[in-house]
Amino acid sequence: MRQVVGLTSTYSSDEFGVCSALYELGGMVVMHDASGCNSTYTTHDEPRWYDQDSMIFISAISEMEAIMGDDDKFIEDLVQTANELKPRFIALVGAPIPYMMGTDFDAIAQIVEERTGIPSFGFMTNGMQYYPNGISMAMERIVDFYCTEKKETQQNTVNILGATPLDFSINGSVESIQEWLKSNGYTVNCTLAMNCSLEDIQNMSKASINLVVSTGGLKAAKLLESRFGIPYVVGVPYGKKFASKLLEKLKLKKTSLGWDRKQVKKEKHLALIGEAVTSISLACAMEEENDVSVIVLDPLNENNELYRTLDVYVPEEDDVMEQIKSVDGIIADPLYKALCSNKEFYPYAHVAFSGRIFEKDLPNLINTEMKRK
Amino acid sequence: MLKLAIYGKGGIGKSTTTANLAAAFSKLGKKVIQIGCDPKADSTMNLLGGTPVQPVMNYIREKDEEPETIEDIAKVGYGNVLCIETGGPTPGLGCAGRGIITTFSLLEDLELFENYQPDVVLYDVLGDVVCGGFAAPIREGYAEHVLIVTSGEKMALYAANNIYSAVQNFEDRGYASVKGIVLNRRNVENEYEKVSNFAKERNLEIIADIPRSNDITHYEDQGMTVIQGDASLPISQVYLDLAKKLLEE
Ligand SMILES: Nc1ncnc2c1ncn2[C@@H]1O[C@H](COP(=O)(O)OP(=O)(O)OP(=O)(O)O)[C@@H](O)[C@H]1O
Ligand SMILES: [Mg+2]
Repeated sequence: MRQVVGLTSTYSSDEFGVCSALYELGGMVVMHDASGCNSTYTTHDEPRWYDQDSMIFISAISEMEAIMGDDDKFIEDLVQTANELKPRFIALVGAPIPYMMGTDFDAIAQIVEERTGIPSFGFMTNGMQYYPNGISMAMERIVDFYCTEKKETQQNTVNILGATPLDFSINGSVESIQEWLKSNGYTVNCTLAMNCSLEDIQNMSKASINLVVSTGGLKAAKLLESRFGIPYVVGVPYGKKFASKLLEKLKLKKTSLGWDRKQVKKEKHLALIGEAVTSISLACAMEEENDVSVIVLDPLNENNELYRTLDVYVPEEDDVMEQIKSVDGIIADPLYKALCSNKEFYPYAHVAFSGRIFEKDLPNLINTEMKRK
Repeated sequence: MLKLAIYGKGGIGKSTTTANLAAAFSKLGKKVIQIGCDPKADSTMNLLGGTPVQPVMNYIREKDEEPETIEDIAKVGYGNVLCIETGGPTPGLGCAGRGIITTFSLLEDLELFENYQPDVVLYDVLGDVVCGGFAAPIREGYAEHVLIVTSGEKMALYAANNIYSAVQNFEDRGYASVKGIVLNRRNVENEYEKVSNFAKERNLEIIADIPRSNDITHYEDQGMTVIQGDASLPISQVYLDLAKKLLEE
């Protein structure tokens, strides 16, 4: 059956992608939607929620406000709250209800910006797309707005783009990427968007190269390339061997994928389900150190520019089931196990899929041995 | 209880037909409710002598709360017709269709039919069935019959066909069915023939043939239906005949 998720879960939405990307930047982020279902962001998809403050709000739109299209009340609430909290910026995040009413977020952002003097952005998310779209939108927009000035390029200085807990959890993976870069002679400039400030973003133009660690970071990388000529390499340094290959790519100072797109099917053939950049990197890391081939099944977006020869887009649960028929084992979030009853299953939790349920079992595989006995 | 929904192209004469029908039904001794389902809220104007009723959506917008009694949002007009207008959000904002659905469930909460016990309920609905909200009047429990108002003009017939198809589409949902065509004349060439062919092709009946009439304009200017203005006029007789016919069937 099309568009039905019967056995597994669904990924975090574009709405939450925006929230996650902007969480640490000091802005006021307001989801314009009914209160209720959006709390899953805080309870499931945002591992920083309880330890780190952020001005994330829900407008709690009512049925009547929706019918009346009462933008004024929303605007009034925004202006009042912003004047009290004095955020660095204001982000308005779209959701299914305003999407159906055709709420004009850019126009509202403009009014709010005029009335508060605080930079305001409207994000036309709708809760029906997946989180990478939201991360992508947010990162591109924020870089576009704040990183406008060319700073003198500093050699061997790198920005990391696309880092959020939705793909990397808060298990130290992002810090490990930073350490790996440092130990290889790089200065880490800005990590978009974890442990990151708006000042860091303003200074992104100093970098000599960008490392894109998730599909959510791609658009911002392309923007920085076209605006300042900063090349980018796509990949996450999972596994010792793949990490050193990725390092070689970084040293070339040219825009490229961190992996080879040619792929050969091996006797032992596995499937890895997940976000394209992190999953392809991890698949490569496994292939580098073991006698296996690992195809990536990407349920999120069709990322043809990233896929290797055997990787595929699997928009529907049925597509996943079809694809895993021909593999010997599956590496995926534990919630996928329901689809894989008669296959070897290697759990690898993904916050954007199972939220915080398996948070504690999430391994940090950055630059580690990937050899399986 | 006879429950009718009147649909048709914008400006074709739905509200005129509905209000005159309401007046005619009341002349025949029936207890009538007319509900205007159009953000313009001009359906019941000619039953109210120029002092319109506050539409439900406007009430909610102004008071910021839902009405508690029928009296809050209804007004008694000519012939004791109870007049209600759904109204809608500020033009260009929100969701008018959802507003109609919400108004209906509100009227249900206020137990309108139970309390008022009408013999006839008329729904005057905006031009086209543009979204779910504008199909609400023909959902189960509301109108059982649809009257399509059209002239012999091409675009009016085009709209009539769209409405007919929409209603057909809902057949398996137990929604209303098309009762017939009300020909509201614009005096175009071969008008009767055109409309009668249209009706025949769809197995429909022309249940009224309303001439173009200056009396309608004349009394409209005074905030009246022709029935109220002068029930003995031939044009009034047309509406009275239609009302009788609908009651008989
Ligand atoms: N038979 C008729 N003879 C003369 N004038 C008529 C006739 N029917 C309608 N009109 C006039 O046409 C105008 C439009 O009619 P009316 O408001 O009833 O249309 P409507 O279909 O309800 O329009 P809307 O789609 O805007 O709600 C009115 O001024 C009305 O007086
Ligand atoms: Mg009308």
